Amino acid sequence: MRFGREKLSITERVRLAIAVVLLVVLVSLFGLVKLQIFQHRQLYQMSENNRIRVLPIIPKRGLIYDREGRVIADNRPSYTVSVVPVEEVRYRTLPQLSILLGLDTLHIRSRIQSNMVSRYQPAAVRRDVPFEAVAILEEQYTRFPGVTYQMERVRQYAANLGVESFTGYVGEISEEELQESGMNYVRPGNVIGKKGLEKKYDRILRGSEGTAYIEVSANGQIIGEYTEKPPIKAVPGTDITLSIDIDLQRASIEALDTFCCGGIVAIDPRSGGVLAMVSNPTYDANIFSGVIPESLWQAISSDTTHPLLNRPLKGLYPPGSPIKLLTLGAGLEEGVVTPTTSFKSCAGGYQFGNRFFGCWKPEGHGVLHAVHAIEESCDVYFYQLGVALGVDKLSHYMDLSGFGRPTGIDLPGEEKGLNPNSAYYDRRYGQGRWSRGLVLNNAIGQGELLVNLFQMAQFYCGLVNHGVVYRPHLVHMIHYPNQLPEIVAPELAYKLPFSPATLRLLNEGIRLVVQGEEGTARHLKNAFYSLGGKTGTAENPHGENHSWFVGAAPLDSVEIVVAAIVENAGHGSEVAAPLVAKIIDAYMLKKEGMKALMLAEDAQPEISEQ
Amino acid sequence: MMLKYREVDWQLIVAALLLSVIGILLVMSAQHYADSTFKQDYFQRQLIWLGIALIVFALIVHLPFRLYDFSAYLFYAFALILLILVLFAGTSRMGSTRWFSFGAINFAPSDLAKLALIFALSRFFAYTKLPTTSKRRLALSSLLMLVPVLLILKQPDLGTALVFPVLLFALWFWSGLSPVYLILILSPLVSLIAASHWIAWAVYLGLLFIFLFFCRPGTAFSAITVLANLATGTIMPLMWGRLADYQKQRILTFLDPGTDPRGAGYQIIQSKIAIGSGGLWGKGLLKGSQTRLDFLPERHTDFIFSVLGEEFGLWGGLLVIGLFAFIFIKAIRIAGRSRSKFVSNIVIGATTLLLFQFIVNVGMTLGFMPVTGLPLPFLSYGGTSLVLTWTLIGLIVAAGYRWQEY
Repeated sequence: MRFGREKLSITERVRLAIAVVLLVVLVSLFGLVKLQIFQHRQLYQMSENNRIRVLPIIPKRGLIYDREGRVIADNRPSYTVSVVPVEEVRYRTLPQLSILLGLDTLHIRSRIQSNMVSRYQPAAVRRDVPFEAVAILEEQYTRFPGVTYQMERVRQYAANLGVESFTGYVGEISEEELQESGMNYVRPGNVIGKKGLEKKYDRILRGSEGTAYIEVSANGQIIGEYTEKPPIKAVPGTDITLSIDIDLQRASIEALDTFCCGGIVAIDPRSGGVLAMVSNPTYDANIFSGVIPESLWQAISSDTTHPLLNRPLKGLYPPGSPIKLLTLGAGLEEGVVTPTTSFKSCAGGYQFGNRFFGCWKPEGHGVLHAVHAIEESCDVYFYQLGVALGVDKLSHYMDLSGFGRPTGIDLPGEEKGLNPNSAYYDRRYGQGRWSRGLVLNNAIGQGELLVNLFQMAQFYCGLVNHGVVYRPHLVHMIHYPNQLPEIVAPELAYKLPFSPATLRLLNEGIRLVVQGEEGTARHLKNAFYSLGGKTGTAENPHGENHSWFVGAAPLDSVEIVVAAIVENAGHGSEVAAPLVAKIIDAYMLKKEGMKALMLAEDAQPEISEQ
Repeated sequence: MMLKYREVDWQLIVAALLLSVIGILLVMSAQHYADSTFKQDYFQRQLIWLGIALIVFALIVHLPFRLYDFSAYLFYAFALILLILVLFAGTSRMGSTRWFSFGAINFAPSDLAKLALIFALSRFFAYTKLPTTSKRRLALSSLLMLVPVLLILKQPDLGTALVFPVLLFALWFWSGLSPVYLILILSPLVSLIAASHWIAWAVYLGLLFIFLFFCRPGTAFSAITVLANLATGTIMPLMWGRLADYQKQRILTFLDPGTDPRGAGYQIIQSKIAIGSGGLWGKGLLKGSQTRLDFLPERHTDFIFSVLGEEFGLWGGLLVIGLFAFIFIKAIRIAGRSRSKFVSNIVIGATTLLLFQFIVNVGMTLGFMPVTGLPLPFLSYGGTSLVLTWTLIGLIVAAGYRWQEY
């Protein structure tokens, strides 16, 4: 074929034309072979991926019970109403839906627009729709063409019992939480425990997700189950039983409610089980289960009384007079004092160096020793005791008694407080730039000392329980599936650094505070049971004093220790003490009531055979 | 006009029938699981249209070419009138006014225009006394082509408009223009592509000058060529801005469908998945999951070849390509044997039309051509397409039968 400017002959043209056709054929063949032979495997895989959707099956979250099996946290159904765009009937669906949901049609329309995934899939219009509305949807479905509803489970907490201080709440997993978990058992979009028990026991409570394989069309329409891959079953969450007693919890929150702010913790010293735990002011954990209105969230987070602050766990306060038991114990153990030693008389205050440290009773206590110093809570006695001990000795005993260290309660986020010693003061003020006089404040529970409610309660549990401290804990039983419930055994945390003789004396002090004639809480004495404890008034540089009381009963064999702090409320004996008494009353009444019940049952004559 | 049936090229007819039947099967599969009953009618409609097409075919085979020779320019004028009319009286859909609607039947005059241009150009090149390389000849034929093209671009319908210059080019070739001139005529297009990078363009221009030096096609021609190349090379960036968004998008997604898998590139990706997943033997009729589950869009029209690929695999593809190639080669031979330039031109025109649609459509499904909306002859659903295709086959068969007469 000549390649020049001359005309081609017919035959040449035919050949060239056929060559073009063959070229086209070749190119098509090349394309086909490339796709159907070389890329076949990966393209086949993609064709499968297109049509198989992997759906997670989310199991129900484990329930949380109180010690008697009453429900504290469970799951309730939440209904989401959606519209399938392609099935909507103009002028019928939306107006009807608007009446039912109480939303106006424009609002519904915009929700559909923003939530729409495809015309064939439901677009969410409103979450957490009340059951009555759903019932109407179900019954009168012809009125609402294109409207569907889906049910999902949402966490529900017993209301008005202050349980949120230990349950915490759940929410959608955040970026940081995803990173931390290492994506081992959670995915984006999962619900995860955010605080409290929900967070600490999240692994147990959440169970494990299952997987369903379904076949879909390009529209997202579900065709059906993918028969070639069987679904993986979900494992439901494990239930847990707490040592909490709802009746005591109720008594606690009712007692604390009259005051603005504070916290209460009630522990059984024989096991360390927490019987009640409240923080005031508080919030309703149920609000986190639905969608929180922005206004509500703003109100809560900007509230100056800090309802989100969990006082028993994170509130740090000067221990005040209740710490005197420890000071006395340290003094006895170190041999600095004896049961009958007394110091200079209390005449309302004590001069140390160039400072005058006052006693809470301006008239003074006169000369007191040991148990009576506790009974009347004489500051001057303890100032002198503190001086004799010194900062570091005192701090050492505090450390051995569990202060300045977390108690290890099974809740996340415990604040460990502050137990200052000379090293601390050196760091803070500089070596040689602080006075030994600081120990005076420490001895009576002021100064830099900071404790949380659990540490306080735990200490007293040790005192009334022969020096044996069990780790405070909330969870009592875990109900693993297909086996007997696992009981969480009481864990010996440590023993108080006091000899039995010292302990006896300290317990006598506790008894005298209520039962003694000069006891600072003698107004709590009652005829039904023997109550003991210690009052406290923590000075608060920011405002009024905080009111402390730790109570224990019955004294011969203590079953319950209650530690309460009421912020900015004045003298311990006036505010916190009666509060604790109410709670212990409730405990005792319940116990007596049950005893009476059992006695009554025993007294019932058996139906004798005729 | 009795036909001597033994002299009719039955092989070609059988090949065309086979392709039509395959087309019916594919359309049936394509709409079998469709989500509305309207769409499920496609299968029956295609069957009816095939019947009509075959009647038209039979008619055409019996008609003498003298008829077309005589009425060519009239037919051309008629087509132009219709093209103008549709801009005013036609129905608009998706932004373009391409059709006349008569109830459920849509008629696009651009299809008629394709046929009219074939006739007009065939006649022109058959009887013109102008030498092959005369500028006048080139200019006049271009004008014949440009008028309907501009009208079609006004609708707008870029995809269909592309066919016309290709027809002209094919007939330039067939009427004797040597390859050198053909290459030079194509060069501005290459310049357009090369201009995307200035180094490439510089190299290309260098090669062009070397080529001109060796072939020396004449000063006027060379000058025009060079000017045209420079023009397309420099105007290209400017033109880019004036394209409508969807056209820009089409070009971009053609270059890389992955960049927009949910949008325009989606079709190409899905088409490749469907075809590739068919493998050697295919998934079987009615069993293509991509087809069945609606993942393949426009599967009964533009992407019918993908249905073939998914359900019949490589062997199905080879069969169809083979049948098409068979028809094309036979047609070219028929054109070569014709003693009448007019008839021969018509056959080449018809073949070019079918070949162009074939490569554009199949190329699109395989991923190396942009999405254009051109139907695949015989296979794609569409009444007009089927009738037009069989008309062209009719012309080819008639030419084959009558080669002795002319």
